[in-house]
Amino acid sequence: MFADYAALIVLLPVIAFVLTLFLGKKLYSGGALIPIAAIAGSFIISAGIFLEIYPDRMVQQSMPWFAGMNIGILIDPLAVVMLMMVSFVSLLIHIYAVGYMSHDPAKPRYFAETSLFTAAMLGVVLSDNILQFFISWELVGLCSFLLIGFWYHKPSAAAAAKKAFLVTRIGDVLFLAGIVVLYFNMTEIITKGSFSIEHGNFILQFKTMFEAIPHIAPAQLTLITLLFFGGAVGKSGQFPLHGWLPDAMEGPTTVSALIHAATMVTAGVYLVARTFPMFVAAPDALLVVAYVGGFTALFAATMGLVMNDIKRVLAYSTVSQLGYMMLALGTAGAVVGAKAVGISMFHLLSHAFFKALLFLSAGSVIHAMGTNDIREMGGLSNKMKITSTVMMIAALALAGIGIPYLDIGTAGFFSKDAIIEGAFEYGEIKGDMIPYVFSIIAALLTSIYIFRLWFMTFTGKPRSQRHPHESPGVMTIPLMILAVFALLFGFLKEGFYVYLEKNFELMEVVIPVHEGEPFHPSVIVVLLPVIVGVLGFVIAYLIYNKRILNMSKIISSGNPLYKLLYNRYYEPKIGADIIGVKLTHDVAAQSGEFVDRKIIDGMIIDNIISNTIFKFGEMIRKLQTGVVQNYASVTLLGIGLLIILLRIGVI
Amino acid sequence: MSLYTYLLIAAVIFTVGAYGIITQRSGIKILMCIELMLNAANINLVAFSSFNGNSSGQVFALFSIAIAAAEAAIGFAILVALFRVRDTINLDNIDILRW
Repeated sequence: MFADYAALIVLLPVIAFVLTLFLGKKLYSGGALIPIAAIAGSFIISAGIFLEIYPDRMVQQSMPWFAGMNIGILIDPLAVVMLMMVSFVSLLIHIYAVGYMSHDPAKPRYFAETSLFTAAMLGVVLSDNILQFFISWELVGLCSFLLIGFWYHKPSAAAAAKKAFLVTRIGDVLFLAGIVVLYFNMTEIITKGSFSIEHGNFILQFKTMFEAIPHIAPAQLTLITLLFFGGAVGKSGQFPLHGWLPDAMEGPTTVSALIHAATMVTAGVYLVARTFPMFVAAPDALLVVAYVGGFTALFAATMGLVMNDIKRVLAYSTVSQLGYMMLALGTAGAVVGAKAVGISMFHLLSHAFFKALLFLSAGSVIHAMGTNDIREMGGLSNKMKITSTVMMIAALALAGIGIPYLDIGTAGFFSKDAIIEGAFEYGEIKGDMIPYVFSIIAALLTSIYIFRLWFMTFTGKPRSQRHPHESPGVMTIPLMILAVFALLFGFLKEGFYVYLEKNFELMEVVIPVHEGEPFHPSVIVVLLPVIVGVLGFVIAYLIYNKRILNMSKIISSGNPLYKLLYNRYYEPKIGADIIGVKLTHDVAAQSGEFVDRKIIDGMIIDNIISNTIFKFGEMIRKLQTGVVQNYASVTLLGIGLLIILLRIGVI
Repeated sequence: MSLYTYLLIAAVIFTVGAYGIITQRSGIKILMCIELMLNAANINLVAFSSFNGNSSGQVFALFSIAIAAAEAAIGFAILVALFRVRDTINLDNIDILRW
């Protein structure tokens, strides 16, 4: 019954977008209630569909569009868990935003844009073909641009929005190129006759794509998947296109929570998970996914260590955790097949809960303090009990603290350890331990930076003369709900894996599993992630709470390593100044301008076309003397001529 | 008097008007010449109407006179406005829109 209304999942927030944009000014809190109601509706329909299709069915609806393509809805296990997560987290963030944005005059615009954003993200999730996926994907990018630049009068926000748009654009172009290559290959194998589309299916549907995998040349398949992964790298902030995500913290904190933690950036991971059968068929691409993901996890965590902006630490944490998700798809995908999707998506979901919680707690702190800089905070735990508690829960979840073998722990404990163990298993089987080493060091750094953040913010003496207060209930209640999820979500692990593993079987796609003994990790492998998590906690405690270890020698601008990290590996310089300004603007744009102005405009248009017309005009304009008498004489002459011609019978 | 006489008079008046338009430089004189040409046409209308025993031509002439009056009013208003701005109504000097 709910499945009949699947399209409403996307349409409700779209309607809310239009209504809020035009009518929001006159309504309570800038019309916030319309998107809240709409997204609640989306969540209810998603949950209803989940109950209907659990455990082994899916919803498929499609209608023809143009040129053999279609618009449609595909809600399989993968999509339905994403739908529920996106709509649920988005709902909580919208409620929270009523409190957080209460002082902002541009509320209608804010709520309209977040509503459209949610619609676009839900559209990505339930697309049943890659073209529709791409369109929603671009809409998500647009909304992210609008929301990062929400305070567009701040030059830094405008610049960050531009950067996010341009950097993700690089990925989007690759993604589009991948679709084009895929389409080309599909039409080729169809005309050759080795593959035909079943009746009722369409050319760019995921189902058809998966069926065509054995017929596409392996090299082409690797190219397609790598191009898709390029799109995912841009959207999910993987190295080397990670730079936009920390800068995107210029938007309101709720936007950071919504877009840059819980939903939008996971679109890239979702893309890889969605087209996972293609990646499995292209092992080289899978290897790239594993390495880029593992490297990003470590690389971003190192920068998280030294940032002083509370949101920026969390942003690097997001980049790092997204790296973990990619790593899971890349490594586990090579050894455990379809289960990798479950492992990765489980981390995606648990990350969405605890990262949204971290961001919203950070928002609560920023709301109270009026600054982002953790050096100006300190001692807040007395004043903000709820915020500090829930943020501690989120930090424990992010660090993956739990008790192995008893299976008690936070959401991150279950989800992240599975990834690290998957990386170890991959290393055992393939003899390549590098991804595992990346992931375990990143886990240590993750724990250090997040507890550093917590201790700097909430313990010690206040380091500035402000009077913080706990946030209102409309903000703390979503925090508590998210905290419950960050604590308890992990216990769904086994059921979740079993449910998601069936995802591709439903589409009759077979994903090969590595043959051999079932893998039993040794004690040290199981314990190590938790050990490094606790170790990180202890290190942060000693340095930033007890202040026993004096780090001032190391944490100073004299230390080249610190300088390198603090300047973010000079990525803004390399990315913006060298590639952006020097290469793109000075070289490419200037030479383009030279060709346009001097050659096309200057030589062809000016010299040939416009000059000829101009000279001809110059010649004949003299006929218009401007003397009325001349005109009258010519008119009379003409009439006389006409009469004479009539008389002699020529006409 | 025959129809021919009327047509001849009308043709003479028309020719005087046309000549005036071509040779005169003053805006007022040109307007007057246009009126002459219009009235030459009116004479033709009335003459044909009278000789053919059909009164519709005279109705045409009445319309034509009314329109000519309106046209003259506009024309003179333009000339008055022009004179205030440029201190002349010599049409040879009114040529700012020319090349």
